[in-house]
Amino acid sequence: MADMKSLSGLTEQQAKEFHEQFKVTYTAFVGLAALAHLFVIAANPWW
Amino acid sequence: MSDVAKPKNPEDDWKIWLVVNPATWLMPILLTVLAVAIAVHWVVFAVGLGWGA
Repeated sequence: MADMKSLSGLTEQQAKEFHEQFKVTYTAFVGLAALAHLFVIAANPWW
Repeated sequence: MSDVAKPKNPEDDWKIWLVVNPATWLMPILLTVLAVAIAVHWVVFAVGLGWGA
């Protein structure tokens, strides 16, 4: 049948390409959040 | 429906973008994360664990 169009309309290559950038940005977000939590623990532990 | 292959994650994670179009949903996703972060900070400050705790 004609090349299968995905539900989102993205091709496999576009989805993989976007996901690579999404992983980078998400990793940076988690890294920064972890750093911020370490600062709070160092300055003022909540337990 | 039962013969649909089960995804193997994280290697199949990228397939979410075959269902969810980031051109439409990336900003709503990021704004939802922001809303959760604001809510968590709100609660943390509300229970008195703010700056001077």
